[in-house]
Amino acid sequence: MRMRDGLTRRDFLRHAAAAGVAAAGFGGLVDGLSAEAAAGPTIAVASKHDPVGLVRASVQALGGMGKFVKKGAVVLVKPNIGWARRPEQAATTNPEVVAEIVRLCKQAGAREVRVMDHPVDRPDAVVLKMTGIQRAAEDAGARVSMASSPALYESVKIRKGRALKSAEVMRDLRRADVVINVPIAKVHGQTGLTFGLKNMMGTVWDRGAFHGSESLDQAIADYATEIRPDLVIVDAIRILLTNGPKGPGKTADKGIVVAGTDPLAVDAYAATLFGWKPEKVGHLKAAHQAGVGEIDLGRITIKHV
Amino acid sequence: MYRRLRALRRVTQIVFLAGFLLLFAFAAYPLRSPIPVDLYLRADPLLALSAMVSLRRLLFPLFWYAVPVVVLSLLLGRVFCGWVCPMGTSIDVMERVFRIRGRRPQGEPRWRRVKLYLLIALLVTMVVPAAHRSPAETGLTESVGLSAVYLLDPLALLTRTATWVGLPVVQWVVSMTSDTVTGWSYSDLAGKHPMLDRALAPVQLGLSVVARPASFRLVLLTFLVFAGIVALGRYERRFWCRNVCPLGALLGWLGRLSPVRLAVGERCNECMRCVAECKMGAITDDPKRYRGPECIECMSCAAVCPQGAIALTTGYDGVAREDEMRLDRRRVLGAMAAGVAAVALPKVSLGSKRSDATERVLKISSLRLMRPPGALAEDEFVTACVRCGECMKVCPTNTLQPAVGEGGLEALGTPVVVPRVGPCTQPCNLCGRVCPTGAIAPFSVEEKSHLYLGTARVNRSECIAWAQEKECLICDEACSYDAIVQKAIEGLGRPVVDERICVGCGMCEWVCPVEPLGAIRVDSSGDRRHLGRDRQRLLREEGGQDRGDESPYPDL
Repeated sequence: MRMRDGLTRRDFLRHAAAAGVAAAGFGGLVDGLSAEAAAGPTIAVASKHDPVGLVRASVQALGGMGKFVKKGAVVLVKPNIGWARRPEQAATTNPEVVAEIVRLCKQAGAREVRVMDHPVDRPDAVVLKMTGIQRAAEDAGARVSMASSPALYESVKIRKGRALKSAEVMRDLRRADVVINVPIAKVHGQTGLTFGLKNMMGTVWDRGAFHGSESLDQAIADYATEIRPDLVIVDAIRILLTNGPKGPGKTADKGIVVAGTDPLAVDAYAATLFGWKPEKVGHLKAAHQAGVGEIDLGRITIKHV
Repeated sequence: MYRRLRALRRVTQIVFLAGFLLLFAFAAYPLRSPIPVDLYLRADPLLALSAMVSLRRLLFPLFWYAVPVVVLSLLLGRVFCGWVCPMGTSIDVMERVFRIRGRRPQGEPRWRRVKLYLLIALLVTMVVPAAHRSPAETGLTESVGLSAVYLLDPLALLTRTATWVGLPVVQWVVSMTSDTVTGWSYSDLAGKHPMLDRALAPVQLGLSVVARPASFRLVLLTFLVFAGIVALGRYERRFWCRNVCPLGALLGWLGRLSPVRLAVGERCNECMRCVAECKMGAITDDPKRYRGPECIECMSCAAVCPQGAIALTTGYDGVAREDEMRLDRRRVLGAMAAGVAAVALPKVSLGSKRSDATERVLKISSLRLMRPPGALAEDEFVTACVRCGECMKVCPTNTLQPAVGEGGLEALGTPVVVPRVGPCTQPCNLCGRVCPTGAIAPFSVEEKSHLYLGTARVNRSECIAWAQEKECLICDEACSYDAIVQKAIEGLGRPVVDERICVGCGMCEWVCPVEPLGAIRVDSSGDRRHLGRDRQRLLREEGGQDRGDESPYPDL
């Protein structure tokens, strides 16, 4: 039995990488808001607005979109467009959230905003239409496409990977000046919960390599050590409580958007919306151990807006 | 004047061919076409006749669609063949492009009656009962035929050639050129040049997702059949239309009493130009006479006549037109025997559904016979399906493939779901909307929750979670109908299929990372078409209640 796009095993690297991570420590790896890095990362939690307002308020609290998107930049927005489900079923990112992010990028002077995903469901056209994201994002001025061909990916070595040594990564993501990850908060049959770190699995071609690795949680964490979005905006406006990630299941209206530059800190906060301790989520814990970011809510500055 | 009429005929031909190709291109998700994309197939009286006779029932929309061509033929003879038929036009175009001129000297066409014998044989396949059932079974007719009309109907043949051969080839060329010329795939290129993207939007619609070109089985065979039809023009021009086409035979027979005819006047000096020009070999050795059922009224004879002696006229005076078919009785009997054999041979072959005694044989040999949702019960389906490939053209995931072994010989070329190529995606009902004969009866997206094509089964000796003790529940997360449940064993979730909920859409098989076949596979043992939609719905509702679903139909 062979896995889809199986990995090359390089066990000798694993120990070296683990040692390296331990030596490097965690603080130095947290970039973005460098002034606050020493004191721990900052995240913004917006509530009590409509979806557009939630996005605006949370991004504003982080210093505005202009801080991330410079004039003439090419931006890649990665929502969850993974399933042929309607927006209200809370399996895919709220289209209004995606559209507002596109508008903010455009206002900040982005030359081009691309909205892309690699869906699990088939076919692309149906998924794009049902989720409502194509129409919303295109109206906002983005180019929406699905990276559904291996030609659109390039091989990337995961230098600190323990379970995942390399991955086929979306070329557009590698070439974009700014990457904004826009997951929806959901329960997940396999990983417990899913937010930004898990959403990044939609930027690889060979997802089977994650599932076939010794641990999916570790593979997600490994990937985050190499591929890091510049900004994560979690849509927790309506969250999926059962039968995730595809649903249909029970949903709850939370009316919250969480944004930040530390991909783990944002996810850790989002986990609390489900009543989970962040450490209980396997891939968040693994990401913390791999030095991806901060998991301890006590060390995270939370701006409620 | 007749030169103009010939020019008009050529323009009309091109317009109808373009219309055929345009409708073909528009048979794509999201299927927004004001006219049915299968219009040409629906308008084909032979296909309508086949569906109605072999299913033993009147099919009303189909009946009305077929009326215009029948009326046209009664009034004007085989004008459809000369002016409208996209197969005829394709042959004309090919003969021109490849400079194919019939080699055979003039004279009585030897094989022109073959198409009539073929038509008779096909009619027999529609009539002969191929399957008997007890009337107790709900909603099913007592017997159905096993029509072989798909083998020779020109529109079904052309449409499937376009789907199985034309579409993949065009998509392949488009993607290869854009890849090699630019180093970028089409979507990248379009991303850089939005204008180009917009300009090509209608083409993209027809080619549907160039990034994933469609591919089909039976490509080579289908291509060879079409190429053979064209190549036979080297012997006689429009060899197919003269000698083989059963639709042409039917329309010629209908047009025997047509009041419109060609008359040759006094000025004829027997230069034989018209005889050389006639691509149907319809004019006799005496150029003042012609064979009515062979004439397609292309107007070439009148256009080339140096004397201007040929004219269109109406009425029955003068006997320039020969309408007698002059069939040979022994050959008619032979054709009828061939028709019976065409039904009997596939029926006695292994893998066909013959009787209860061979039910097990069916289950074993046709384990992968998953039909699209909405398909009629199997024996009705195989006779109603004309293998036009329209459902496969419109299928956005390419999962519908022509059967090559599934369902036995009688099912060759009919659509089957091949999940490893793509899933039968939940929010799609396009195949039911484009099937010209209703072999795939229209169905709603909601109904897909209880249209059981088959059942998924986990192969525990290959499944990552069962056999390798690794976390993997991709099938569970991808399942559109929530039919896969995790069973926690020794702290690890293992996928188990709930057979009353699973409709066999194949999403799990499609996403399973175990190569090459997947460790979860759909088989046709759960095919419940024969129960009818109401009973399938009840079954689904009971299944849902048993596991305590709040609604038997989880919100789509």
